[in-house]
Amino acid sequence: MGVAGLIFDGLLALALAWLAWQSTRAVDLFHAVVSFIVFGLLMALAWVRLEAPDIALAEAAIGAGATGALLLSALDRLATHDARRRLLYEPATAWGFWIPAGGALLGGLTLAAWKLPAPGLGHEVLAALKGSGVDHPVTAVLLNFRALDTLLEIGVLLLAAVTIWSLGRAPSPVAAMPSPALPALGRLLFPVFVLVAAYLLWRGSHAPGGAFPAGAVLGAGAILMRLAGARSWIRSSERGPWRWILSLGLAMMLAAAVTGPLSGQAFFEYPPGTAGPMILLLEVAAGLSIALLLFALYLRGEPRDDGPWPDGQRGDGQREGVR
Amino acid sequence: MTVYLSLAGVLFLIGLHGFFTAGSLLRRLLALNVLTTAVFLLFVVMARLAEPLDPVPHAIVLTGIVVTVSNTAVALALVVRIAGRVRAHPDDAGSGSRGDAG
Amino acid sequence: MIPETTGPVVLFSLPLAAAIVVFIRPRWAVPITLISGAMLLATALWVVVAVLQHGAWRQDIGGWAAPLGIGWTVDGLSAAMLLLNAAVGLAGAVFHAARPAGRTPVRDPRFFWPLWLFLWGGLNALFLAADLFNVYVALEFVSIASVGLIGLAGGSAQAAAWRYLLATLLGSTLYLLGVALLYGRYAALDLALLAEVIEPDLITAVAAALMTLGLLLKAAVFPLHFWLPAAHGRALPAVSAVLSAVVITAAYYWMVRLWFGPFAPLLGPEVATLLGLLGAVAILWGGLLALLQRHLKMLIAYSTVSQLGYGLLVFPLAAAGAVQPAWTGAMTLVLAHGLAKAALFLAAGAIVLRHGIGRFEALGGDQRGAVIAWVAFAIASASLVGLPPTGGFVGKWWLAQAAVATGAYFWLAVLMLGTASTAAYLWRALQAAAQPARVLPDRAPQDRAPQDGPAALSPALGLSALVLALASTALGLAAPIVARLLDAGLAVPG
Repeated sequence: MGVAGLIFDGLLALALAWLAWQSTRAVDLFHAVVSFIVFGLLMALAWVRLEAPDIALAEAAIGAGATGALLLSALDRLATHDARRRLLYEPATAWGFWIPAGGALLGGLTLAAWKLPAPGLGHEVLAALKGSGVDHPVTAVLLNFRALDTLLEIGVLLLAAVTIWSLGRAPSPVAAMPSPALPALGRLLFPVFVLVAAYLLWRGSHAPGGAFPAGAVLGAGAILMRLAGARSWIRSSERGPWRWILSLGLAMMLAAAVTGPLSGQAFFEYPPGTAGPMILLLEVAAGLSIALLLFALYLRGEPRDDGPWPDGQRGDGQREGVR
Repeated sequence: MTVYLSLAGVLFLIGLHGFFTAGSLLRRLLALNVLTTAVFLLFVVMARLAEPLDPVPHAIVLTGIVVTVSNTAVALALVVRIAGRVRAHPDDAGSGSRGDAG
Repeated sequence: MIPETTGPVVLFSLPLAAAIVVFIRPRWAVPITLISGAMLLATALWVVVAVLQHGAWRQDIGGWAAPLGIGWTVDGLSAAMLLLNAAVGLAGAVFHAARPAGRTPVRDPRFFWPLWLFLWGGLNALFLAADLFNVYVALEFVSIASVGLIGLAGGSAQAAAWRYLLATLLGSTLYLLGVALLYGRYAALDLALLAEVIEPDLITAVAAALMTLGLLLKAAVFPLHFWLPAAHGRALPAVSAVLSAVVITAAYYWMVRLWFGPFAPLLGPEVATLLGLLGAVAILWGGLLALLQRHLKMLIAYSTVSQLGYGLLVFPLAAAGAVQPAWTGAMTLVLAHGLAKAALFLAAGAIVLRHGIGRFEALGGDQRGAVIAWVAFAIASASLVGLPPTGGFVGKWWLAQAAVATGAYFWLAVLMLGTASTAAYLWRALQAAAQPARVLPDRAPQDRAPQDGPAALSPALGLSALVLALASTALGLAAPIVARLLDAGLAVPG
């Protein structure tokens, strides 16, 4: 596999570098965004080559899928308002600056990274794996050893949704239906998405998978359905259930974290023997949360009961509403 | 591994260059995403180099991907709302302040 | 007997839980926030007392010790910061709740409360953290909450929020790259663990540089301060208060944690002098720009750029040998600045509400309805300038002692020049109150005069500012206790 692998890696790396270059330098914004999406997909391949299948799944669904959808939908609004202003001080874009500076930076970083001994914590994780409640090391790290990071990260997702809601209303969905086959295809595919997500979720306890890839796939499926013309159910009304459902992930993680001190142990320490079931419960909650919040992020605004404003007429952000 | 390590460095450079020389708000965001991908690549390469395979950087990168998409979503929601306003004053450096906040 | 480890748990979980409740039921937002705020203030006080009595401690989250798990550091400095956060959080919440409805443009008032509580929780997580990647996630948490809060003011504040977002994201990414290099070298993310194993080699130096650069961006230190004046000047008063007082301080706090912790072997004279010089330029440049401002809130925002420079003086002074006075002085100064700056922003908010416009020409004349606010402004200014017996005075006194003890008269001169410029621009602001009333001919639509008379403004607006200003003064009066608290540290260098 040696030489063939090396050639594959080399070609992949070249493609990735070129696509990254395209996404930052291409003149046409649409070209840039599409390059970025393909960049994400090829990165998923790179993660597989680096033996990181969990990350590959998440990158394909979130990095390429959800981010791509977000970018394209924003591009719709931006293409007519492309702001070519400079917000930051721009050093000379001349090659005379970037080639030597870039070369020095690249050299310095590569030199520093080259000498990395990379001892890693693999031994420690494997040693503690038995007491963690799951068999898959990455899941053990995410939901037991470093569960606080995961809690904060679900918090970041919820916070991002709340922030986006605070900025204004969700714009109306894309009006044009590119192909009549899309809704039919969507209806066919969505159960597959749900099945794959459930499978990944269940699989996470003993193999690559878990809440993140599952939530990512489900969220991507929801976005696909929206693109295929489905109407979003989510409403921001305080009387409806959606605010509860979106907050469920973070709420459950907080509740699980607090059971520790309540039973005389450390914060976020699972009561003895319950680590497995609790992790499964948290995985389900986190997975659902990730899926729904990704979809809420895609809506790019607060989905109110009385429908979104017509796109472009009132203009989100120009309405200085006073309640 | 050399290949991916170099790739990480190159991506970092492309991202940095793109960030500082971008003319469009959206492109700055894309450059930032490329930048974070470069950092994730470094993490995973190190995980791969460790003996046995180190799962902690994998967890870190998974968390990082979700945080990045959250940031991107907020940034896009913001960009879309200020883009309309910005067109009216192409060289406006921000009203109400005197100083070097240009 | 409730163990003291419960304190940090409450400080972390309560704001987040309250934020969720307030998100689900906005109707109860104000009472829930105020009650939670009071509980958080009490808990923070309890933690401070616990540290004073028992010394610092460390908590392992999930029962897993480093390097596998994440930890929390509860020592004098973090306890003090948690208390600062609680004080500003509660005062800001009271201020915002007391604002007259329908006067100033707010994007959507319903979303202020969950964002406020989320920011509170994120900042607490940041002050408690002892793990480098945990810090990254907490920093992102704080950034997004801040962006949301800034954007609530609508209009041009959203452009300011965008610049802040870009700057802070770039900072986070640089920081994360540094963390990656450190992890690759040492396979450890915990502060205490790293401090034991670190060696001053190339990789560590590069990592330290990257992480510091990222934090400098977030702390708006010269020359990376471009995003701050607009963001802090245009936001709602309560938001500006927490941003200038706590969010900036959190970034500075992490610089100090890193350089007096794991990176201490790298803190050579060149690095220390460089950081000190950045601080010195920030003090003078920020002060100069503040003098040129004609809008009250912009003046205070530029003052933040200037004041944080004092904090950076701890590096050269400590590296030169006067560690104890430099540390105590800088931390006391930063705490006093936090309280005073928040008081200034809240007072300015009340004043602008009273007069309808923030430009100096309009602030004269009848001050009924804003008297408490102006008094608060004056007291807070005294602390910022460094008049005895305020906290600002104590901090600068310690720093001056450190400078004299090490013969570093350059830094002493910077200190005095900075104090002079601070006095100058704050005096200018106070004088605006004494000028006769003037009706400005061309009022922009958003600078509407208040429809009701000055009596319609709640006294709580000025009172929230006054309490913070008095707290900043009390910090000076309680100087010995503060010094003892700051000593109870895992981070104080030997």
